Amino acid sequence: MRTLNSPLVRYLRRRLLILVSSLFLATVTLFVLLRLIPGDPSNSLLSVGATPDQIKAARHAVGSDLPLTQQFFHWFNQLIHFNFGTSLISGVSVSGEVFSRLRVTVPLTCISFFLAILIALPVGFISAYRRQKWYGTLLNGLSQLGIAIPVFWVGIIFIYAFALHWMVFPAGGFPPDGWHSPLAAVRSLVLPVSTIAIVMASSLVRYVRSATLDVLGSDYLRTSRALGFKFSHAIVRHGLRNGAAPVISILGIELATTFVGAVVVESVFALPGLGSLLIKAIAEHDYPVIQGVLFLSTLGVLIIGFLADLLQRIIDPRLNRFTESRSG
Amino acid sequence: MNTRLKLSLSILGTFLFSSGMSVIWLPYKLDDTSGLRLESPSWHHLLGTDKLGRDYFSRLIVGSRIVVIVGITTVIIGALIGVSLGLLAGFARRTRDDTFSAFLDILIAFPTLLLAMLIVAARGASLTSAILAISLGISAVLARLTRLLTKRVLGADYILAARASGTSWFRIVIIHILPNIWTTLIVALSLQFGLAGLAEAGLSYLGLGAPPPNASWGSLLQEAQDTVYTAPIAAIAPGLLLVILVVGVNLFADGLRERFDPTLGGNQ
Amino acid sequence: MKKFTSRMTISVIGGLVAAALALTFTATGAHAASSDATINVGSLYEPQNLDNTGGGGQGVTEALNGNVYESLFKLNDDGSVSNLLATGYTVSKDGLTYTIALHKGVKFSSGKSLTAADVKFSIEKVLSPTSKSARKSSLGAIASVTAPDDSTVVVKLNSRSISTIYNLSYIWVVNSAAKDFLATADGSGPYKFTSWTRGSSLTLTRNDSYWGTPAKNKSVVYHYFTSATALNNALLTGAVDIVTTIQSPDALKQFASAKYKITNGKSTTKLLLAFNDRVAPFNKVLVRKAVTSAINNKKFLQSVWGDYGTLTGSMVPPKDPWFTDLTKVNPYNVGLAKRELAAAGYPKGFTFRLDTPTYDPHPAAAAFIKSELAKVGITVQINSVTDDQWYNNVYKAHDFTATLQEHVNDRDLVWYGNPDFYWGYNNPTVTALINQSETALTLSAQTALLKKANRLVVQEAASDWIYLYPQIVVAASNLSGYPLNGLNSQFYAYNIVKA
Repeated sequence: MRTLNSPLVRYLRRRLLILVSSLFLATVTLFVLLRLIPGDPSNSLLSVGATPDQIKAARHAVGSDLPLTQQFFHWFNQLIHFNFGTSLISGVSVSGEVFSRLRVTVPLTCISFFLAILIALPVGFISAYRRQKWYGTLLNGLSQLGIAIPVFWVGIIFIYAFALHWMVFPAGGFPPDGWHSPLAAVRSLVLPVSTIAIVMASSLVRYVRSATLDVLGSDYLRTSRALGFKFSHAIVRHGLRNGAAPVISILGIELATTFVGAVVVESVFALPGLGSLLIKAIAEHDYPVIQGVLFLSTLGVLIIGFLADLLQRIIDPRLNRFTESRSG
Repeated sequence: MNTRLKLSLSILGTFLFSSGMSVIWLPYKLDDTSGLRLESPSWHHLLGTDKLGRDYFSRLIVGSRIVVIVGITTVIIGALIGVSLGLLAGFARRTRDDTFSAFLDILIAFPTLLLAMLIVAARGASLTSAILAISLGISAVLARLTRLLTKRVLGADYILAARASGTSWFRIVIIHILPNIWTTLIVALSLQFGLAGLAEAGLSYLGLGAPPPNASWGSLLQEAQDTVYTAPIAAIAPGLLLVILVVGVNLFADGLRERFDPTLGGNQ
Repeated sequence: MKKFTSRMTISVIGGLVAAALALTFTATGAHAASSDATINVGSLYEPQNLDNTGGGGQGVTEALNGNVYESLFKLNDDGSVSNLLATGYTVSKDGLTYTIALHKGVKFSSGKSLTAADVKFSIEKVLSPTSKSARKSSLGAIASVTAPDDSTVVVKLNSRSISTIYNLSYIWVVNSAAKDFLATADGSGPYKFTSWTRGSSLTLTRNDSYWGTPAKNKSVVYHYFTSATALNNALLTGAVDIVTTIQSPDALKQFASAKYKITNGKSTTKLLLAFNDRVAPFNKVLVRKAVTSAINNKKFLQSVWGDYGTLTGSMVPPKDPWFTDLTKVNPYNVGLAKRELAAAGYPKGFTFRLDTPTYDPHPAAAAFIKSELAKVGITVQINSVTDDQWYNNVYKAHDFTATLQEHVNDRDLVWYGNPDFYWGYNNPTVTALINQSETALTLSAQTALLKKANRLVVQEAASDWIYLYPQIVVAASNLSGYPLNGLNSQFYAYNIVKA
């Protein structure tokens, strides 16, 4: 009984409720926005000079002859079962298509994200801890530059330098048999991953840097050092723990941003991922694909936010109100 | 005025001036195709011409106009929506405020570019779609910040006293809250200006921004990829200008922060 | 950038009476070539699905036509038709019954025998109400198809049609027992369909039990790109061996080395400024002529294609038998344009909306036309339209004043004989000439009639035919045997060898 009423569990329940309701809200928004697209979704099923009977059948097939609320609940029910219907253009199942694209997008996003963290932690720390030295300033300056560069432009420059000039990595594309040729697959992800990682790392560096500065200037660090702890020990024991909580909530947001970076970079490097699928679908007004990709992305973003909040709560139980857990 | 502020103001001033100027005068009109195909830079065409013989320098300036328009309008719309929502939330009772903040958190976490793609899917690619999406993204960030700052101010003793004496909330906002929070808001907004420019360039690069012949820097970069061997300037200039602009805006934000509150700026 | 990737524009304008004159000028040479090579083809035209009656698009033709799927007849480079799955045919005296004999012992790659029932099924599939194939209308003359025995097909027509055999060469013979035409393919061709990763690549492998001459390479992989730059980069880095269509002459500078071969073949793709001939001001012949004369097509062709591409002055590409150079009929002459405008009652010009697809070269063309027409006082309002909007507003609803569009096929002059087509050109003489040409008894009679019709269409400036695209193929220099013309996006891969 006690554990069921512990603050963490109460928090978890409340946070889950918010997760579900915001997912519902997001799908309503998605539904409304997509229904704003001019023309009937059945249009694409029809050939020129379709008879009224054919039009009726096509409207029935896509369900656009039902009342809106009914359409919505039917649609919502399908979405939460990951049934996104079939593409208006290719006629194949959207969920199959979307999940097969995840094989590129998920590794691309995750690897870039972890690489960005790996870069940002030492760089951010050094640029704060050694901010009086020239290399601290340089690192800080570079990260300022990094956040100002459009991610696709970095990609273009990388292609010209590493693929066309030095010819060390492919300029784009993904092996026909995908991860069955692991070496080729990894090689084709090197440049896209580096592109995203560099840009993401730049924005993470700022957070790590200011978190480090906060910790360096804090009382408990000074106290533990005064008590005779070694500096590195003090940092690990108190600094990381106190610095980590705000950074984790930022990471949640930044992971979502990394995913967007992936969407753009996939186009630059001609990778068969979710992003290139979405852009193609938008150009072709392929509703079911658009809603499938956007629903899944929203779901991903919400779940990441949920996990980040939860993790932060576990690390730093002193936070009593989740709404204040994020730094403005 | 500190160095950062001076440097950034001269950068931003140049951009504002050239894009404002472009409304009245351009070296060549946008539909002037009198030049030759892909001319090299010369006195007639400072940065050469594009495939159609249009002056590239003029196209770049028009591109700066688009960034400035997008930046200013999105920041204004985002500020209006965001600050009002944030104030409302700041005054709201706890439960309502919690729900509201939770949704704001989600909106913030939801990437602007995805939102923009959704809007483009619904409305078609246009400058308005891009502005709409970016403004929404900005307003979420602003709303959250305003709410936080409002709560902080509302907790102060003199406000409690004012509320107890029956001062209307509108008066409280005007007299006590806005004067206390506007500096922080301005800093946040100038950072968002840079992000808006980057977002618009990304959308245009993907072909989801302002449709041709409007030459946003993103679409100029997209076009230039094709002719990078014959006209390398076209693939470098728009990107470089965008970087300079965003760095300028970020410097401006830092400089402002330092000026308004030297202790806050201390982390630089 | 993307040429006709939209499903409807392909199926609508692409196709129809048009043809796949697969001019396979087979390059010779190549010694010590391995028959186990894999040929990597780079393309911008990924299929939407693998069914050419289901809106598969031009990519499906490029990948599967002649490689995986075969037709009764095959088109040769001189426009003549030869037997492929058919061994011959006879025509009844009234010209209404075609009896076609089939090759015996032909099998689909799945192992099932190909019979007359499959042919009947395939033709009916193209004609069925759910078919999105635009060929449908050109096959309108077909009344019935029967299969009296396993190796005979009888096609009955409603009216005489000289293009029947030619039209049958578009119809892929598919396995009537196949369940799925969208995601997989079971044909009788020299390759087996192996796999397709959407957004990335499509793989074909040699069919070792092929009934004809086996393919000279072991497999063909089509790599798909959405931007021309990425495609060219793939060739530069060796990720692909050949690029089927180069999109701009600037890209060619990168390939100016002994490592690559650049060929300039024949294309049938035309860029049109199509007027709505039904509505003012373009219902006046003089206005159309004035606009045509006010635009310097030559300069525009040069700005887009440098030294490549051709001016034809009409809808008819040089590969059509009824081609004549008509560039002199409405010459570029601003003075003439002004006089014609004045005579038409618009001495001060007018303003019109130009519906412009958002992908290259249309926006550039629109900007160019705008600046050219400004010189004669005409104001152009450029209105960007998506493929969908173009299809619904321009193509279906005819709600436009003028538009830019690419028309990819050969033999598509016939559209000027159809007053209900989107541009609404209505000249009863032309319509009669074009209808007569279809029921003509000989090719020379057909040619003469169409030449006459074409001249009339051009004299009335029904549209402004801006230019004919070049067809530039770039391949690694160790490659040979590839098609140079790839008309209507056909790409026969079976003769390609890698040294």
